[in-house]
Amino acid sequence: MEGQQYQGELLAYLQSTMRAIEAACTSIQMHTNPAAAEATILSLSRSPQPYKACKFIMENSQLANARFQAAGALRDAAIREWSFLSSDDRNNLINFCLNFVFQHAGSPEGYVQAKVSSVAAQLLKRGWLEFSVSEKERFFYQVNQAILGSHGLQVQFVSINFLESLVSEFSPTTSSAMGLPREFIEQCRKSIELDYLKVFYCWTRDAALGVAARIIESDSGTDEVKVCTAALRFMLQIMTWEFRYSSNSVKNINIFSDAIRPDNTLLNRTECIVVQPGPAWREVLLSSGHAIWLVKLYSALRQKFSRDGFWIDCPIAVAARKVILQFCSLAGTVFPSDGGRLHEHHLLQLLSGVIKWIDPPDAVSKEIESGKSSSELLDGCRALYAMATVTTPSTFDKLLKSMRPYGTLMLFSNLMCEVLKVLMTKESDEETWSWEARDILLDTWTAILTTSSGSSENATLPPEGVHAAASVFLLIVESELKGACASVFNDDSASDYLHASISAMDERLASYALIARAATDVTVPLLTSLFNDRLSRLHQGRGIVDPTETMEELYSLLLLIGHVIADEGEGETPLVPNAIQRHFLDYVEAEKHPVVVLSSSVIRFAEQSLDPEARSSIFSPRLMEAIIWFLARWALSYLMSPEEYKEANHDSGLGSTNQIQSYGSKGIILKFFSEYGNGKTVLDIIVRVCATTLLSYPGENFLQGLTCCQLLHALVRQKNICVHLVELESWRDLGHTFANEKILFMLNASHQKSLAQTFILSTAGVKNSDTANQYVRNVTSHMTTYLAELCDKRDLRSIAEQPDIILLVTCLLERLRGAAGACEPRIQKSLYEMGLSVLKAILVLLEIYKHESAVVYLLLKFVVDWVDGQITHLEAQETSIVVDFCMRLLQLYSSLNIGKISLSTSSALLSDAETDKCKDLRALLQLLSGLCSKDLVDFSSDSSDTPTTNISQVVFYGLHIVTPLISLELLKYPKLCHDYFSLLSHMLEVYPEMVGQLNGEAFTRVLQTLDFGLHHQDVDVVSMCLRALKALASYHYKETTCGRPGLGSQASSGSHPTGELKGGILSQFLRSLLHLLLFENYSSDLVGVAADALFPLILCEQGLYQTLGNELIQGQVNPNFRSRLSNAFYALTSANQLSSTLDRINCQRFRKNLTAFLIEVRGFMRTM
Amino acid sequence: MSDEEHHFEAKADAGASKTYPQQAGTIRKNGYIVIKGRPCKVVEVSTSKTGKHGHAKCHFVAIDIFNGKKLEDIVPSSHNCDVPHVNRTDYQLIDISEDGFVSLLTESGGTKDDLRLPTDENLLSQIKDGFAEGKDLVVSVMSAMGEEQICALKDIGPKN
Repeated sequence: MEGQQYQGELLAYLQSTMRAIEAACTSIQMHTNPAAAEATILSLSRSPQPYKACKFIMENSQLANARFQAAGALRDAAIREWSFLSSDDRNNLINFCLNFVFQHAGSPEGYVQAKVSSVAAQLLKRGWLEFSVSEKERFFYQVNQAILGSHGLQVQFVSINFLESLVSEFSPTTSSAMGLPREFIEQCRKSIELDYLKVFYCWTRDAALGVAARIIESDSGTDEVKVCTAALRFMLQIMTWEFRYSSNSVKNINIFSDAIRPDNTLLNRTECIVVQPGPAWREVLLSSGHAIWLVKLYSALRQKFSRDGFWIDCPIAVAARKVILQFCSLAGTVFPSDGGRLHEHHLLQLLSGVIKWIDPPDAVSKEIESGKSSSELLDGCRALYAMATVTTPSTFDKLLKSMRPYGTLMLFSNLMCEVLKVLMTKESDEETWSWEARDILLDTWTAILTTSSGSSENATLPPEGVHAAASVFLLIVESELKGACASVFNDDSASDYLHASISAMDERLASYALIARAATDVTVPLLTSLFNDRLSRLHQGRGIVDPTETMEELYSLLLLIGHVIADEGEGETPLVPNAIQRHFLDYVEAEKHPVVVLSSSVIRFAEQSLDPEARSSIFSPRLMEAIIWFLARWALSYLMSPEEYKEANHDSGLGSTNQIQSYGSKGIILKFFSEYGNGKTVLDIIVRVCATTLLSYPGENFLQGLTCCQLLHALVRQKNICVHLVELESWRDLGHTFANEKILFMLNASHQKSLAQTFILSTAGVKNSDTANQYVRNVTSHMTTYLAELCDKRDLRSIAEQPDIILLVTCLLERLRGAAGACEPRIQKSLYEMGLSVLKAILVLLEIYKHESAVVYLLLKFVVDWVDGQITHLEAQETSIVVDFCMRLLQLYSSLNIGKISLSTSSALLSDAETDKCKDLRALLQLLSGLCSKDLVDFSSDSSDTPTTNISQVVFYGLHIVTPLISLELLKYPKLCHDYFSLLSHMLEVYPEMVGQLNGEAFTRVLQTLDFGLHHQDVDVVSMCLRALKALASYHYKETTCGRPGLGSQASSGSHPTGELKGGILSQFLRSLLHLLLFENYSSDLVGVAADALFPLILCEQGLYQTLGNELIQGQVNPNFRSRLSNAFYALTSANQLSSTLDRINCQRFRKNLTAFLIEVRGFMRTM
Repeated sequence: MSDEEHHFEAKADAGASKTYPQQAGTIRKNGYIVIKGRPCKVVEVSTSKTGKHGHAKCHFVAIDIFNGKKLEDIVPSSHNCDVPHVNRTDYQLIDISEDGFVSLLTESGGTKDDLRLPTDENLLSQIKDGFAEGKDLVVSVMSAMGEEQICALKDIGPKN
């Protein structure tokens, strides 16, 4: 009776739960009170052991949504309570889900089935390491039966889907969150990869084999198609698995750092995942004729459905093509070491199928233009890309030769040409299939050409390849030029395009250049003739036709030529590209060398811009940009290259013909543009072109920026160029204009800074150091003189606020900054004098311009840059002058700004004022850090008897001045905060002894700041504070054990004579650090640093530590926890033979102890 | 560039010049500019070209320094823009009158009583509160193109 009654109550309870959940689901769908509905559903998943209710709802509810939610609740509860569940319960839950899926295989609500099967997969994974092999076998036996088709197609379909969700659960990137450690996930992944993936693959393959035969034979069979698609998709999933353990090449795998794939995906837009499953898979994937079956299946299906044009985009077709693509990317030890024969055979089989998608290219593209889907062609391109990635160029080319009279490269280049032709007929900007195809094919070229240049021999690219590259490049240039013409007049897209103009196209141009370099014999002369042709067109049409189109064509050509003949020089001096070195070996006369001819054409063209009339008619600012960019890139590789000298010696020493051959071509070019050849003339032209862009293109900031920051910098980077530069009349003229003419003050101020820097850097070419210093004085005298004179004016206050004076002062300060930033030991003296002569002016201007934040910032930045360059070289007396000045500057800045509040109705202006303040303060902190470096690096020649400045004292004093200006509000600026704390912690770490000598106010402020930093959100800031704390406490401990006062009376509490309870600062920090460690949130990375700080603190304040520990232990009500805590405290200070000395070993032991301590007690301490 | 030029300009205007011409390309963020007859502070400058092969032009977004309104302008970058002469003077705050005027102490020892308090509640309270607390306050008065306004406040220590 009781049992029945219980049953009845239970049923009633289950039914009411079901109704509640159903109601909640409906209310979510109708969107009435969704919050309450969600709470209802959440309460189900949060209730203890809700499994009965969940199962009941899943089996009985008529509402699909309720079944879905119940499955989710079941999953959440089971994952949460997993460790409490008995192994029977666990098995039951998984079996229930699996059976549910199989039983309801035909249900129309697919999403419920998918959810339940993913729940089963997740639970299986959760228990994966606990289940015995036989338990797993039992689960998989059911699945296997289902996949074999013994329960019908529906069940077959859902069981394949189950495997799919299982495998994606085991792949770390797609698994769902369960709060499990990384090791667990990694073990699961290893287990499934080694023991199950291949089995699963075979099951699905067999299933696919069965249904595919039926599809081809019969006409109907939507269910078969469904199963086949699922099977193919699952095979694809396994083929994209990131194999780690089965390919035996990798021994030690660091699971915490994802290995970077060694293939060259960096340059490429198209993704190509190389599949490397290892030798264990050879039988399954290769030996069984599997690939050929796939290809045949696709062809058969294609044939059968050829009348339906849409079939190409059907799921089954897409899946089949993708599997074929993955087969193309197979590589590694899965192939035996038979000289690549099996690999070649394998690719050949695939190619025989793939070729139908792309060949003949013109017919295929015509079909696409008349409405056929382009996805087959695109996948064909991707297949070529994959094959090119896994083979060498010659193998790649050979593949097709067994089927056709020509090689793969030929087909490939024909395809590319076809795509480019289609691209040219399209005028619209929208991305069409031809865009996509072009990008994939470009990547394929990159794959082919980079593998060949990676090895030492260029010969790996067969002659057909060179020919193909030439013809493709011809079309590329044609289409680029056509594109250039077309884009000239669409103004709307131009604005976006312009900003990115040169650098954004880089990526595409780089792949074009690779192609061109594969066939330099053809492409370089081609570029020359095109360039000259456009030039003559431009000249002929002068004044008659609108030159814009031709200008744009020239612009594109210049970019192309620059990429083809020279490499980018970011960070290092580029060499003449290999391809150019190796070709043109039969040219003996430099004047006829194609690269020389091409370079000379461009340089002559650039020279024409010097003529005012030509400039106004044919040199637009944009065209000049391309010219300047080209000259900068070209000059780095070719102009007066230092290699040329090396080679001259090299060749005479080593007479080997091979050597001469390989360097011969390069030698000729470099010699032509060397100082003995036409180098000086070219350099002169370049300088004069630079002067032209600076003087004759007013307001063209971008162009002038390129000139100052790229071209001129490229020139002064090389000493051998500087040698000739400083000799040039044109360079002297430019310098004279810079110092004396108003026009260069019209340049953007930052460009003026860069120019000043350039002039100073060019002194590297002056042989004598006295002359170099004199040169610097000549360049900088106009800046210092003017500023000094300005400050002596009696009406300074009234004229200083005039906009033109502000502009002038700004420009001069920027120039000074540029000069100061170019400090070299050789010219340090003159730059020191330069700074010295404006020190007074700087203080005057700081006061005068106290409201003009832009000027203030420049003043501070100049001092920072100047001090940075000078400080390490200064003698004692000079140091004291500079330090003195810096302190006066700090005091003045502080007195002008402390307590100042900006008032404005505009919030934008207010926040600008805040940002300005923050920038100023950062500059001041940088100044102090600059001063710090004097103590670390010092090149001065002083003997010890001259009185030296105590840098640490000065910097502490400086900090004392700056700190009041930094409000908590300002510390929210991350950069300022970071700078501030790194300076502070540096000071405390390096000079802990200074802290004891600080006066009370400064002392408190430093400590308050440290305490603030300890509780900051930024991990870096906290760890810097902890390091500072460690230094302070260690210092104090070491000193006091030797009987010295250490940090003094403020530091410790125990020795305080008055004996009051007022604790010293170290005890405060001990308290606050313990609290932080036990009760607050922090990153686990900090535990190590925190241990380093805590250990000396405990040693300093042993008494307090005991008291605090006892307080915490007494505070625990639960006796179990209390004993755990007291044991942990005991272990913290006594485990691992910890002793009370502050050496490295002890610190490491304490680190270990603290980690163990926190793991032991933090869990329950925090929740109490 | 010679000094005489500045003297000349300054003298010709007899110190009364309200604006100066300056090439648009040299005006940077945080600089001043006149847009639609109003003195503004530039908060954003971007450049573009008139047509692909045309000349550069500057697009300014600026904020009126007196009323905080946002204004925009596009100028060819080689052309001149007007830049306002923004002048700032510090005065010590002597008194705040009932009718919303402040009384300021000039450098020469006289008083300046023609300046209104800001109308914005927030700004007003910052001045009034500071004054009420008995702090020694210095106000900076910004003037440009015939308008003036209090733009900053500085506490130079408590009154003794």
